Amino acid sequence: MSALLSVRDLHVHFPAVGEHQTPAAAATRAVDGISFDLRAGETLAIVGETGSGKTTIGRALLGLHPPASVQGSIRLQGEELVGLDETGWRAVRWQRIAMAVQSAGTAFDPVYRIAAQIAEPLRVHLHLSAREADARAMALARRLGLTSRHLRAYPHQLSGGEKQRAMLAMALSCEPEVLIADEPTSGQDVLSRAQLVALLQAICCEQGTSLLLISHDLAAVAQLTERVVVLYAGKLIETGDAAEILASPRHPYTWGLLNAYPTMTTARDLRAIRGSLPDPSNPPMGCRFHPRCTQAVARCRVEEPLLARSTGVASGGERLIACHLGGLQALLEATALRKAFRANGQIGRRPADDGVEAVRDVDLVVWEGEVVAVVGETGSGKTTLGRLLVGQLVPDAGQVRFEAQDLFGLSTAARKRCYRRIQFIAQDPFDAISPRLSVGKVVREPLEVQGIGTDDERQARAREALDAVSLPTDEGFLGRRAHTLSGGQLQRVAIARALVLDPKLLVADEPVSMLDASEQARVINLLKDIQSARGMGLLIISHDLALVRKIADRILVMQQGRIVEAGPAGRVISAPQHAYTRALLGAAPAFDW
Amino acid sequence: MVRRLIGYLLTLWIVLTANFLLPRWLPGDPLSALLDPTSASYVYDAEVRAALAAYYGLDRPLLAQYGHYLSGALTGDLGRSIRLNRPVSGLIGAHLPWTLLLTLTALSLAAVLGLLGGALAGWRRGSSADKVLVTLSVVISNAPVYFVGTLLLIVFGARLRWLPLAGGRTPFATYPSLLDAARDIGRHLVLPALTLTLATMGSQFLLVRNSMVTVLGEDFMLVARAKGLSSGRLKWVHALRNALLPFVAHLAAHAGLVITGAVFIETLFNYPGMGRLIFEAVGARDYPVLQGAFLAVSTVVLGANLLADWVNQRLDPRLRHV
Ligand code: SF4
Repeated sequence: MSALLSVRDLHVHFPAVGEHQTPAAAATRAVDGISFDLRAGETLAIVGETGSGKTTIGRALLGLHPPASVQGSIRLQGEELVGLDETGWRAVRWQRIAMAVQSAGTAFDPVYRIAAQIAEPLRVHLHLSAREADARAMALARRLGLTSRHLRAYPHQLSGGEKQRAMLAMALSCEPEVLIADEPTSGQDVLSRAQLVALLQAICCEQGTSLLLISHDLAAVAQLTERVVVLYAGKLIETGDAAEILASPRHPYTWGLLNAYPTMTTARDLRAIRGSLPDPSNPPMGCRFHPRCTQAVARCRVEEPLLARSTGVASGGERLIACHLGGLQALLEATALRKAFRANGQIGRRPADDGVEAVRDVDLVVWEGEVVAVVGETGSGKTTLGRLLVGQLVPDAGQVRFEAQDLFGLSTAARKRCYRRIQFIAQDPFDAISPRLSVGKVVREPLEVQGIGTDDERQARAREALDAVSLPTDEGFLGRRAHTLSGGQLQRVAIARALVLDPKLLVADEPVSMLDASEQARVINLLKDIQSARGMGLLIISHDLALVRKIADRILVMQQGRIVEAGPAGRVISAPQHAYTRALLGAAPAFDW
Repeated sequence: MVRRLIGYLLTLWIVLTANFLLPRWLPGDPLSALLDPTSASYVYDAEVRAALAAYYGLDRPLLAQYGHYLSGALTGDLGRSIRLNRPVSGLIGAHLPWTLLLTLTALSLAAVLGLLGGALAGWRRGSSADKVLVTLSVVISNAPVYFVGTLLLIVFGARLRWLPLAGGRTPFATYPSLLDAARDIGRHLVLPALTLTLATMGSQFLLVRNSMVTVLGEDFMLVARAKGLSSGRLKWVHALRNALLPFVAHLAAHAGLVITGAVFIETLFNYPGMGRLIFEAVGARDYPVLQGAFLAVSTVVLGANLLADWVNQRLDPRLRHV
C-alpha cells in the first residue's frame, strides 16, 4: 500500500536561545532524523514522553516551525511539503492536514463563539456561506456529543472535555486527508476516552481521513491504533504493529515505558525508568538511551544504533527497532526445567514412595532490568526452582541460559564465572552466614573466594556494598560478629554480600520472611531500590503475594511444580485467571500498606 | 454591570465628600480667611463676600454645611467665583468643552496611531522596524511636555507661521459659516493636540505592542495559524482583537493623566480650557472655582472609566458571564 503521508529523515532543530549565544552554541535537536509512513485510512500512533519530540513532529507536518529549522522530507500524496512558503502551507493547513492540539483548553480565541471558530476554516477555505458553514459545524459538533448550547457558548463557558470535543470538530471540519490528534483524550475520563477515540475513528473512516494519534500513553493508544511509532529524545526507537508491541515490546525503552505506566488497577508502586530524558541540546553520544539502559554495552556509548528489523518477533508484522543488541535481552531463561526427588532424596519435602516431581516443565524468563516474582505455597516447588536457577541443583531435564549461554553446557570454569554474576540470597541469613565471622569478613568473602582485587580494594567494595544496603561502614561495625546482629541487619549483610560481586541478577528466596512486618517492607523496598539503581534483574521467590506485588513487574504463580499463571503484576493482581491465584490473593493479608 | 454602577456612584460620593472636607481641613483655615478682615486673602467686595458666606455657611454646623453643599452640587450650584464674581458652573460650562475637544482629539489620534503602530510592531517583533519604533516611542513619551510643546510652538508657530501661537480661536472673529468656525478652531487645535498626542502616544504604542506579542504567543494563535488563515486575518481579527482588551482598560486609567497633561499644555498654548481656568484660579485663591474644577475633572475621569468598563464588557465575553 502506498503511503498517504511519508516522512523521511525529518529534522527539527531550534537555534539556541539566550544571551550568551556563541556560534557553537548547540541547537535543540527536538526531532532528529525520523521517518515513518501514514497509509490512507490508517490510524498510527506516535508515542513518547514529554520532550520526546512528538508534538514537534505534529507541528512540522503543518509547517508551523520557522522554515530554517526543518530539514528532511514530508510528502503528502507524493507532494513535497518541506520548503513550501506560507502561501503554499496555507493551502495544506486544515484542508489537507488538520490538527487537534493537546492544549484544547487554550486553543480557542476567547472573544469569539465556539460555532464561529469551528465555521471559520469552512468559510475561509471552502468559501461556504455563513449559514452553510454554521450548519456543517453544528452537524459535526453534534456527532461529537456537543449541543447547540455548547456552540453558542464562548470558550470560557465550556469544560475542558467539551473544548476537546469542539477542538476535534474544528479539526475535522474541512474533512482533511490527515488528522493529527495530540493527546485528544487527556481531559476525558477513562471510559469516554475509548468511546471518543472510537468515534473519532468512525468519523475519520467516513471522511476518508487518516488519523495520526500523538500520545504519551503507550498502553492506552496501542489498543486503539494499528501501528505505533515510539520516540525517545527525538529519535525513533521502535515501530511496529500496535498489538504486538503491547504484547512484546522489544526495545528496552518501550519495555520500560509499558512497565512504568500505572494502570488503574495496579497495586504496584509507579516505577519510572531510571534516570531522566537527556538535554535535547546536548544529547548523549551513541544510543541516546544508553545512560538509562540496563543492558548497555561499550558500543552503545559511541555508536548510534540504526533502525533495523527486529529479530525475535514471532509474527509476520514488521517490527523495526534501534538497538545494537537487537532489543531487550533475556537475562535468564529457563526452558522445560524438571527436577524430581526420590523418597530418600536430599531435599524432598513430602515423603513419597516413588519420588516427587518438585519442578515440572517450567519455562521462565527474566528480562534485563526486570523484577520477576515466583509465588507459591510451601511445597509448590518454588525453592527447588530457585536452586536450579542458581546452580545449587542440577536439573533432570531442560536448560538454563544466562545471558544467552547454556549454563549446564559450559565447562566448570566458565560456569563459575557465570555464577559470579548471579547471586543468591537465602531465606534464613542465619543459615547462610557463619555466626563467628565479622561483618567485614562476611561481605568480603566472595571477593576472596573469587580472588578479586587487593585487600584494600576488597575492603572498599565491601564498604560500598554495606552503604548500598544502608548499613554503617565504620570499623566498629565491620568488626562486629555476625551473631550479634538483629535479623534485619543480618539480612542486609547478606544482601551486601551478594552485591559485592556486582551481579547482573539477584535471586532471593523468601528474603524477608524471617523479619517482622515493618522490617519486611523496608528490606523489600531496599531490594527494589538497589535493583533499579544498578539496573539488575531480580527474581524473588515468595509465598506472599501481597508483599511482592509492590515491586514485581511480572508475577508467576507456581502450584505443584508447575507455573499455573504468569503475567504483568497489575493484571495478575487485578484479574487473576487461575483459581489458585485467587485463593492466594484471598489468603493474603489486607492490602493496606 | 449594576454592581459596577453602584461602585461608580460610591466613588463619586467619595470624591464629592473629599471636595467638601479638604478645603475645610486645610491648615490655616483658608475658607474662613476669605471672610476674615485681618487676613491677607480677605475678600473686599461685599457682594462676593456675602455670596461666599452663604455658599460655605461656615457659621452653621458641619452636617448642615454638608447637606447644603451636596444639594448644591447635585443641582449645579457650585458657588460663585471670587475673582470673576460669576457662577462657577457657568465658568466650567465655558471651559470644559475646550478641554474635552483637546483631550478627545489627542486621545483618539494617539489611540489610532498607537494601535496601528503597536499591532504592526508586535507582529514583526524583533525586526529592525520594531526596534526603531520601540526606541522612538520610549524617547518621545519621556520627553517633557513643556519642551515638546515649546519646540512645536517655535517651529510651526513662530518660525514657519503656519499655525496660530495661542488661544482656542481668533479673538473677536465672527464666522460667516460653520465651516469657517471649524477651520479656525481646528487651526488653533493642531499644536496643543499634537503635543498631547505625542505625550501619550508612546505608552499606548508600547502597551499595544507588548499585548500583541503576548497574544501572538498564545495557543489559540498557533491554532489559528494551523487553520490556514491569512496573515491579515491572524493579525487583525485574532491578535489585535485580543490585544484590544488590555488597551481599552489602560485607556481609561490613562484619562486622568491625559487631563493633567492637558492642564500643562493649555497654559503653554494659552488654550481656553479647564487648565487655564485652574491655573488662574490657583493664582487668585479662587476656592469655589478650584473645587468646582476638581469636581468636574473627577466626574469626567469617572465617566471615562465607566465607558471603558462598558466597552470592555462588549469586547470581552469573559467579563460578561462570570
Ligand atoms: S542496548 Fe545499547 S543500543 Fe540497545 S537500547 Fe540499550 S543502550 Fe541503546
